[in-house]
Amino acid sequence: MMRTSIIRDLVILLVIFGFIWGIISLFPVFPEKVELVSIEREQELGETYLEAILKNSDFEEVTSEEMTNAVEAIGLRLENALEGSEYDYRYLVVDDKMINAFTLPGGNIIVTTGLIEFCGSPEELAGVMAHEMGHVEMRHVVSRLVKELGIAILTSGDQFVMGEVTRIITSTGFDRKQEQSADLFACELLEDAGIEPRTLATFFRKLRDDQDNELLEKFEIVSTHPNFTHRIREVLEYVPDENFEEIPMEIEWEEVKGQLPEGRVSK
Amino acid sequence: MEYHPLPQPDEIPVREREDAMGAYFMMFATAALGLPLPIINMIAAIIYYFVNKSKGRFVQFHTLQSLYSQIPVTLLNIGLVVWVITNLVKEYDFTEVFWGYLVMTAVANLIYLIFSVVGAVKARKGLFYYFLFFGKLSYAQVYRVRVGDGEQQRENKPPKM
Repeated sequence: MMRTSIIRDLVILLVIFGFIWGIISLFPVFPEKVELVSIEREQELGETYLEAILKNSDFEEVTSEEMTNAVEAIGLRLENALEGSEYDYRYLVVDDKMINAFTLPGGNIIVTTGLIEFCGSPEELAGVMAHEMGHVEMRHVVSRLVKELGIAILTSGDQFVMGEVTRIITSTGFDRKQEQSADLFACELLEDAGIEPRTLATFFRKLRDDQDNELLEKFEIVSTHPNFTHRIREVLEYVPDENFEEIPMEIEWEEVKGQLPEGRVSK
Repeated sequence: MEYHPLPQPDEIPVREREDAMGAYFMMFATAALGLPLPIINMIAAIIYYFVNKSKGRFVQFHTLQSLYSQIPVTLLNIGLVVWVITNLVKEYDFTEVFWGYLVMTAVANLIYLIFSVVGAVKARKGLFYYFLFFGKLSYAQVYRVRVGDGEQQRENKPPKM
């Protein structure tokens, strides 16, 4: 009969499409969605976002050569210890009294003058930067963006997306697991670079003791879960190789700090 | 249930074949508009149907099939647009369920596209082409013999005095 035949066809259609929907929902075809964004593409995006952020936000690039050189030197030291990285790292110091460091796609690491002020030594800053590099190498930055925006929108490079990207990058944190793995990555990297990994614990301790500081509000390392005691313990548990030898940073940290823009030497 | 006999290809005038083909190709014309607002495709298809339905059962069958098959695709597309906008505005996550829906909608659009092209080519040749479900539905609606069919007498009468 015609009617039964029509209903049967309808059922076939519903089953086929329901199956497609269900199968993709239950067994995601893109579990590693971030893999769909190539590193080259990520670097291109990073370039675009960097420009957009510098143009549209209040951040102003610091021109003091002493300061940028210091950050660059720390970065290079870490990069040299980093084997087989596909990223071209770029470091930028922006003038902002908030204590903050964040990473744009493609290995663009941005630190604020507030953070430099907060760090007691170049090694502490190296710890933060190594932690950020961990997020880069493990592709946390791009996967967070993919998760929040979706691949199509993210890779469109559309300028209207920029605002959202800026918000995500500068305000929201990574998840607990990602932070943990970035901490571990930082420890290993610091060790390879001849920097005492447990400096990171010192830095975390400072953060813990200063948790109510409103300048810390946006700091990614702090924002996710201020359970520092646990993280400090984990970093302290990281024991460097017995042949480990610390190579001091040849940076006059106080002089670098002296380059902080007027009125920004916070207390 | 009874059905009207189907016309054979050589009995269908070129004019009707072209109108039938147009029903499928119409959507290409409105595709650009239909991307952000899928409902526009739908409205165009409905208008096309009502304009052409009086041009004989062959044309009516193809336009109706094109229209019917467009309804679920349009609904899926509208759902997708709404879903994406909601996610962006309310900052919801793009979940696996969303990706599943996206793929399903993409597949539906692709199948719809392929079948429409085949349908258009067949219509131009004066042939019938039945989509799964929509083909039978349209055939049943257009070719079923209804009470009163064929009894309409066209007769001119003088005005009533």
